[in-house]
Amino acid sequence: MAETFDADVIVVGSGALGSNAAYELAKAGKSVIILEAGERIPRWKIIQNSRNSSRRGDFNAPYPDMPWAHTSYDNDYLENTGSFDFRPGMLKLVGGTTWHWAAAAWRYLPTDMTLKSTYGVGRDWPISYDDLEPYYQRAEEALGVVGVDAQDQSGQNGPASPPRSKPYPLPAEGKTYMFQRLEARLSPLGFHFIHEPNARTTRPYDGRPACAGNNNCMPACPIGAMYSGIVHADHAEKAGAKLLTDATAYKLEKGAGGKIVAVHYRTSKGGDVRLTARAFIVAAHGLETAKLLLISDVANSSDQVGRNLMDHSGIGMQFLADEPVWPGRGAVQQGGIFNRRDGEHRRDYAAVKHSIANNVANPAVAARLLEQGVLGPELDRRIRDESSRWVDFSTTFEMLPHATNRVQPHSSKRDALGIPTLTVHYDVDDYVKAARPIAEADFHTFVKGMNGTLVAISPGYQNRDHLMGTVIMGADPKDSVVDGDCRTHDHPNLFLATTGVIPASGVINPTLTGVALAIRMADIIAREV
Amino acid sequence: MRIVTNAAVALSAALLFALPAQAQTSDKPPANAEVARGQYLAKAADCGACHREVHSGGPAYAGGYVIASPMGDIVAPNITPSKTAGIGTWSFVDFERAMRKGERPDGAKLYPAMPYTDYQGITDADMHALYTYFMQGVQPVDTVAPKTQLPFPFGIRLIMAPWNWLFRSNTPFKASAGLSPQAQRGEYLVQTLGHCGSCHTPRNLLMAETQSKALAGGDVGGWHAPNITGDPISGVGGWSQSEIATYLRNGHVSGKGVAAGGMGEAVDHSLRYMTDPDLAAIAAYLKASKPIRDPAESKPDFAWTDPRPVPLSAYETGDTHDQAAVGDSSTTDGAVLYAGGCASCHGLDGKGTKDGFYPPLVGSSTTGAANPANLVMTILNGVSRQGADARSFMPSFASQMSDAQIAAVANHVLVHFGRPDRSVSANMVADLRNGGPKPLLLKLMPWMFGIGGLIILVGAIAAARRLRARYA
Repeated sequence: MAETFDADVIVVGSGALGSNAAYELAKAGKSVIILEAGERIPRWKIIQNSRNSSRRGDFNAPYPDMPWAHTSYDNDYLENTGSFDFRPGMLKLVGGTTWHWAAAAWRYLPTDMTLKSTYGVGRDWPISYDDLEPYYQRAEEALGVVGVDAQDQSGQNGPASPPRSKPYPLPAEGKTYMFQRLEARLSPLGFHFIHEPNARTTRPYDGRPACAGNNNCMPACPIGAMYSGIVHADHAEKAGAKLLTDATAYKLEKGAGGKIVAVHYRTSKGGDVRLTARAFIVAAHGLETAKLLLISDVANSSDQVGRNLMDHSGIGMQFLADEPVWPGRGAVQQGGIFNRRDGEHRRDYAAVKHSIANNVANPAVAARLLEQGVLGPELDRRIRDESSRWVDFSTTFEMLPHATNRVQPHSSKRDALGIPTLTVHYDVDDYVKAARPIAEADFHTFVKGMNGTLVAISPGYQNRDHLMGTVIMGADPKDSVVDGDCRTHDHPNLFLATTGVIPASGVINPTLTGVALAIRMADIIAREV
Repeated sequence: MRIVTNAAVALSAALLFALPAQAQTSDKPPANAEVARGQYLAKAADCGACHREVHSGGPAYAGGYVIASPMGDIVAPNITPSKTAGIGTWSFVDFERAMRKGERPDGAKLYPAMPYTDYQGITDADMHALYTYFMQGVQPVDTVAPKTQLPFPFGIRLIMAPWNWLFRSNTPFKASAGLSPQAQRGEYLVQTLGHCGSCHTPRNLLMAETQSKALAGGDVGGWHAPNITGDPISGVGGWSQSEIATYLRNGHVSGKGVAAGGMGEAVDHSLRYMTDPDLAAIAAYLKASKPIRDPAESKPDFAWTDPRPVPLSAYETGDTHDQAAVGDSSTTDGAVLYAGGCASCHGLDGKGTKDGFYPPLVGSSTTGAANPANLVMTILNGVSRQGADARSFMPSFASQMSDAQIAAVANHVLVHFGRPDRSVSANMVADLRNGGPKPLLLKLMPWMFGIGGLIILVGAIAAARRLRARYA
């Protein structure tokens, strides 16, 4: 007897990962339904919101924070109980959180994926770099990634790495003047400058114009040159996927044989809907995916769902160089210094990435001068001068998975739909803390190398919005949530498309890896349903 | 320039007369030169506009590309020298018959999407070079392209017989007396290989080019191909010869306009490959062509150069903490839509960037046109064009804005940066989204009882045409 389903595959979440999986499946002829908690909002509207916002530093401000689809900067929605205010810039709308990112599109190094066996700390991935490589390539083609083929991205000044089967889809953008000046003066001191592969196109690509250096990647690219999940949400719809907005999934229903039989969603208009499918993909962000599994009581025989939460917790440093370097021209980041991305030191302390932030410096410079009480013509003069000499390093550390760092559904708070809100407990670990003095020593060398004046080193740690570990991947069902295919150990037809599966964080932005895993998963599902 | 043109004429003449005697002469041009010349002519004739690769990087001329004609979808056939799927078994006579008469070797009629009424005038020498190129210079591809199946009555290819009798000439191309040799060369390129009239000449009730209004502007799939006669107001008489040549080569000239839609494709696939002398010749001919003016017009479309300033307050909607308002994208305020959707590139003042990378909306033939269709079509479809100098791209806004919103933003542009006495309605946008107004022939079709009505119509028009010819 043939069973009937509402769709072959239901995808919860229309962000970059869910939309890429949905598009691949729709392209393969599968019927696909995408559930999105938020609404569809056109780019021009987001730009209008952004341009008229008085909260320019709040990258979530141009996006709606609805009582039934909260964003993460809402303290009522995301509560912290640990020593660190864990608060990534999560959005809820069609296209997801990649509406605002800087589009860094790194691949992991082979050693990042064998951390335990190489350096004796953390966990290994259950799949190898070679397993993932073809999907990295496809993900780069999907996102329109620009990059330099012949550089050692491990930062060791060796041969090109990690290995690639094909060149980058697009050539890298030119180096900004600031990048050139820092490289010219600091590389003689032994620092290896690495261009950051990124999904800001350098020529028209897949309906997107070339990046024109609006320097506005966050809160939103005004022209759509930077990749966002909206690209593949649109592609998925054109390929036949059905996208439902204002549809918050709140329950995955278990059936016979350990399979998931249905997903239940709720809308703000009132009303619950149950949809059945042959396979389910939860692609609802690193925090919300874990929450949905926990409130549905699925996939958690290991008791690891929501645990092992990792971010690349970071620190920042600003200084004034002795020459104008003109930050703010071009994209908001372009790479940085990678000497400590890999090496034996990872046995003892975290890998370190020093990114050079390239934001227009006027707001930060002006705020600092006003705090110092500088006013009048002197204020104007110094804003002009210091904005040209401002150098801002944004440094990130590798984090290890710990069961105590976790996200959970809130014990009592509910959103407007009656669904539990989020609670996070997060402490920065000793592996990161041991790396901090090393990074700070680098900072002082940078300042000295530029004959500069140190402005500040951030006192605590900063969010980097890289969600990992919450539905951790592993070979052993007893200590992990999904296998190397992102299939939950407990339910053969439930897959998770989120960077939350990543078991070893490395020190680079994980989105490209998430998309590569999502495409790989879609290939597997397409063969099975 | 003249030397080059004369050389081309001499070469053509040499080829023309040398061909029958090939066996006896030892200094005939090498076959590869003939292939190269044919390849250039195929570019000039823009064969690849329709016989293009279906997927980027796919084989050339293998067919399968679907041309959305008002009468239905026409599938470009495989014209590679494949003996099974293409034209590999065609003799020169077969090739020439298709090119000049619109007939396949089996006698079946081609549809005039194939511009054989224009190709008819191609010189024998050029025709030979084209044939040589398609037989020897194109990779054979053994994939049969899908068949074109137009709805009744257009599915009956025989209906093209009376149409051909009416609208196809057998007279070889003859350059107009009184034109410079350069303009004569241009006339040849425009009227035969370039088949510019396919778009730029208005079509009559039976979808044939109205020769009395040659190059005076036509409508193609929602786009308006403008008047390119030498008239200084309605045509391109106000453009310098070098501006026209630059436009054809690059697809844009600051202070005049940019190529989008079909013209963008013509630049991309054909014109950017043409030699400077040939582009200069086309420009010389267009400027010298018979001016046709729309009497209602008093100012060229690129000459609306006085923007009406917009107060910044029109663009500033203020901060809001109302989350419902943050998510509400229903506005039809043209200034707000312009600020969010367009100003990042074209500027709040509509002046684009100083280097012209983002073109100005002030003093542009698109925003100053009597017919605002191209403005709407550009917003709907964007621009994607490779010129000889650079690639130009504008994203499509079709899925980001409703019909009413596109009308509102177009009207904001017209009122402040372009031609303020023109306006766009949501209905017009809806129409253009669906490929533009339907030709009268299609609108009348339900009223005609099939082929019988068509024959009567053809007869009536033939009579009128003969009468008009008699008294002209």
